[in-house]
Amino acid sequence: MLNENSPNVPLETEPAVRELTRLNMGVTVAICASCFVIPGLGHILMGRWIRGILLAVAISLMFLTGLSMQGELYSGDLNQSYLRLFGFFADAGIGLMYWLAEHARLGAGNMSARTYDYGTAYLWVCGLLNYLTALDAFDIARGRKP
Amino acid sequence: MNLSHFAALSLFALFVSVVFGLITKNTPKEQFKYGVFVFFSFVCIASIVGWLMYFFPW
Repeated sequence: MLNENSPNVPLETEPAVRELTRLNMGVTVAICASCFVIPGLGHILMGRWIRGILLAVAISLMFLTGLSMQGELYSGDLNQSYLRLFGFFADAGIGLMYWLAEHARLGAGNMSARTYDYGTAYLWVCGLLNYLTALDAFDIARGRKP
Repeated sequence: MNLSHFAALSLFALFVSVVFGLITKNTPKEQFKYGVFVFFSFVCIASIVGWLMYFFPW
């Protein structure tokens, strides 16, 4: 029998886990697509405000930091080395911000800068993290996680 | 922005640990604990590997 001090009794201060809800596939796809407009927007649309805002701030700041460290955004030009296409895939994961930065010619990169390598890695990783964020939004929308 | 290697590493670890914590755990307490664990794992392992590389000149 459980008493109040048992480790199996849930603490009252711990927030209750949300119920699983399953959205239809059209809405799910729209929510995942919204993650590529603004990172974390999918979570915000599903009512996960704090999680969505924290994701948006972390991923957007990482992208801006990468740009300010003179990192390079890889283009999707098919005539270049195929290895650079992996970099393009990673960079493009950030979605709309990638295209805006490319349009504004912000991701040219400066190889002589001390922070070039770090900046480029920041840009890759924030795109890859945004793919994970979109997959997380997919799982939530399909009722696989709270 | 002209950060030192350690500052760039720490900032990188911070951003990644926030996202990993948020998307892999369900409750705020678990998210915080896992985020802190990932952050210190990044910083400590990178520092250890960095010092190990210091002794190898090639």
